[in-house]
Amino acid sequence: MRPRILLSIYRKEVLEALRDRRTLFMMIALPILLYPLLMIGMSRLQEGQAAAQTAKTSNIAIWGNLPPGFASYLKDKSKVVLMPWAGATPEVRKGIEEGQFDVPPKLPLDLDADEEPPKPKKLPDTPWAHAAQKAVLNREVDAVVILWQGFDRQITESDAGVITVLFDSVRPESRKARDRMSDYIRLYREDLVKTRVEQRKLAPGFAQAIDFQSTNVASEQRKSGMFVGMLLPYMLILFSAMSGFYAAIDMTAGEKERGTMQTLLCAPVESLEIITGKFGAVWTIATIATIVNLLSLAMTFSRLKLIPGMQMTIPPASYVIAFIMLLPISLMVNAVFLAVGAFAKDFKDGQNFLTPLLMSLIIPLMVTMAPGVELNGYLAFVPVVNIALLIKGIFLGEWAVDMLFLVTLSSLCYASLALLFAANVFERNAVLLGGKEGLSSVFDFGRRAGSRPTPGVSLLTFAVVLVLAFYGSLSLVDFGIPVTLAATQYGMFLLPCLLLVRMKGYDPLETLSLRAPSVRAVLGATLIGVSAWTVAGGLLVRLLPPPESLTRALERLLMLDDKAVPLWQVWLLIAITPAICEETLFRGLILSGFRRLGKWPAILITGLLFGLAHASIYRLLPTMALGVILGWMVWRTGSIVPAMISHALNNGLMATLTRSKGLVEALGLTGAKYVPWTAIGIGSLVLAAGVWLISGERQEETNS
Amino acid sequence: MNPILRADGLVKHFGAVAAAQDVSLCVHAGEVVGLLGPNGAGKTTILRMIAGILPPDSGYVHIDGKDMASDPLAAKQVIGFHSGDTQLYHRLTAREALQYFGRLYGMDEQALKARIDQLVEQLEMSSFVSRPCNTLSSGQKQRANIARAFLHHPDLLILDEPTNALDVVSGRFIVEAIRREKAAGRAVLFSTHIMGEAEYLCDRIALLHQGRIVDEGTLPELLERSGCDNLTDAFLKHAGVNRNGVMA
Repeated sequence: MRPRILLSIYRKEVLEALRDRRTLFMMIALPILLYPLLMIGMSRLQEGQAAAQTAKTSNIAIWGNLPPGFASYLKDKSKVVLMPWAGATPEVRKGIEEGQFDVPPKLPLDLDADEEPPKPKKLPDTPWAHAAQKAVLNREVDAVVILWQGFDRQITESDAGVITVLFDSVRPESRKARDRMSDYIRLYREDLVKTRVEQRKLAPGFAQAIDFQSTNVASEQRKSGMFVGMLLPYMLILFSAMSGFYAAIDMTAGEKERGTMQTLLCAPVESLEIITGKFGAVWTIATIATIVNLLSLAMTFSRLKLIPGMQMTIPPASYVIAFIMLLPISLMVNAVFLAVGAFAKDFKDGQNFLTPLLMSLIIPLMVTMAPGVELNGYLAFVPVVNIALLIKGIFLGEWAVDMLFLVTLSSLCYASLALLFAANVFERNAVLLGGKEGLSSVFDFGRRAGSRPTPGVSLLTFAVVLVLAFYGSLSLVDFGIPVTLAATQYGMFLLPCLLLVRMKGYDPLETLSLRAPSVRAVLGATLIGVSAWTVAGGLLVRLLPPPESLTRALERLLMLDDKAVPLWQVWLLIAITPAICEETLFRGLILSGFRRLGKWPAILITGLLFGLAHASIYRLLPTMALGVILGWMVWRTGSIVPAMISHALNNGLMATLTRSKGLVEALGLTGAKYVPWTAIGIGSLVLAAGVWLISGERQEETNS
Repeated sequence: MNPILRADGLVKHFGAVAAAQDVSLCVHAGEVVGLLGPNGAGKTTILRMIAGILPPDSGYVHIDGKDMASDPLAAKQVIGFHSGDTQLYHRLTAREALQYFGRLYGMDEQALKARIDQLVEQLEMSSFVSRPCNTLSSGQKQRANIARAFLHHPDLLILDEPTNALDVVSGRFIVEAIRREKAAGRAVLFSTHIMGEAEYLCDRIALLHQGRIVDEGTLPELLERSGCDNLTDAFLKHAGVNRNGVMA
């Protein structure tokens, strides 16, 4: 790819997009207008409605006799009209007056009731209930209050009288009437209790017995974070995707419709340059939209009081982290948009293709709205959900570095897959010219005997294997470490790798570097294998010390969760198995795919992927360093065997050290938090000798 | 003298439809070759394959000695392609569109500016070069497109019905521009429905029917072999249609 051409395509696409009113509207106008209008507007509407309800008069039917003095509790008398027996049928009135109905049972004291009115009960199947229902639903009155027979006597005799309020929760006027009545009754009850306590000369706390107090320990950030965290991932992801949506359609189906795609294809540019330039432009649009969305949201939330008395206190850093986490999801979504948009023949067709995709984002986003759903190992690998939950966690101030790493890793994997898909679509000129080439041609898994993998195949294999191994190992965890380890290594690393080589017809000897090594290479690999851990584990662990929990988990893994397992079995599972399976996958297939990028890019990318596959930010540096050394060995010797030897020795020694206290004592490592500097020094010398031996190999021309 | 374009044995199928069957063509510098055929004869498919937009099922295309299959960028670098349905970007001005393509062809900024100014003058585009392409008339769009195809001084011009849907004045303008390029030593391969254009412009004509070249030569050679006294009759004869438009 040529940077100058890429830049020209990118600049032109951005310029065109910025002159498109639809894109501009979705990118800037909508977020600026929508959030304030929606949020503040809704808030004002609610406030306005509440004010309107307060101003309205409540018509309340009173069925029964109000006790003397109750009227003095009607604070805003002008807003309440009491309507004796309104809506009551003669039978119901007679029944209540003469005590013919069963009085609803008295309820136990509700400690949590606080200032709230009692929770509504189910409507009983009685004549009085049906009559009240009819009166309220027909809007004859806003609420019906029944004072059951004997209410006056019960109050006078210090018993508890029963009052039933019937209202329509759907109608605001009815709810307001219920609230007003509840307030009056509560005040009346408080005074009654006070009077009774005074009359009997009881202690002030006699009727209260216990003063129950609950205090919310959530900080202001958590309280507002909970609220914002529910809404924000949903809105941010959806709206930033929507701005990319129009740009993606315009740059693919729109170009086809306008006849400009052909003009571009006849110019001396590579398909990869076209897709990269276009993708860069769509991503820029989506990123600008994300920033505008975030700014608009931050401004809106800072001025918003949806929860009474609560000031929104979201630290700016949370918005910054949320923005960074939105980048991988925007990569993935926009790559899919571009690829799918390329199949559409015109703009309308593009909208038909992409709208279901956009809508499909809503389902995983709804998950974040559900209470109690938190980010965990399983959800960290579910696209869209993982980022949405992480953003929610960030706004709540609850996120772990390891989880952030896993989510970033998995999201980048999915984004890579989507980008590969898009690049593959743009390789098909017939698709770009509106031909009828189907999806099958894009997912070309044709066998070409003797070929070698491409960087795309390597990346695709890594992404698929990583997700497979992650879920595979999580689902097998109940079977114990040995079974999980063997199944993951052979079933999810080695088997897919060998199947791919077979299905695609790759030359197995060339692709997997299956050559016999020289004696010098074996000796060099042995020296590197016994010493690499001192450098990787000794130096790099000092840079980013792992938490205690990870150290314990690694120890459990190296012990196979059972001290009684014989050492040879440990070596078989911990050393030899990964040496065969991981080396075949990483230094075999994946390194082979990246070879065309040149020696060091291929080795470094493979090493990075090897480090990432260990799914922990704390293990990234040591495993990546080991991966780079192993990759260099394969490149230098032309054989995968030395890398397998080094890998097996490295893992085996770590496991032996974990199990054998005698060996640890002999090496002077007892009680040491890190590998001592003397061990690192000796290890470095041995490592240097191994590197020197491998450097003497002259087989690098086989890798060209 | 080696031809600028050498296409040999081009075959292209779209499902069961054979759009091109064993098509071979040569065009030399300073020569205009016309591709004549009824609708659906495969003209556009053949031109797209030669321009490197569509890969052929078999056969090869060499442009100035560069193989389109193995070195498409070098081959495309010396082609100027224009088709009746080729468009420019609606939201860019004609000048911006020309600048964009000049950069894609690797032209240096100074040379690009000078070349655009030259083409604006030659093709009389000064009144509309700063207007967005979606505001241009059909004739203005065609001129801007022709300027885009001529921009990088290509050795080979491939023009697919360049005067399609243009009025007589605009059409004549384009035809004269093609003649100037021929005079400047460019090789030109173009397709048309208009017999007068072919007679006026072409040094050689290839008659195309159902994806095959059924005859090829200079105008007198074609007339002699067909036994007709004009190109229209010769064309209809090869298409299997009599003078009344009835399939023979």
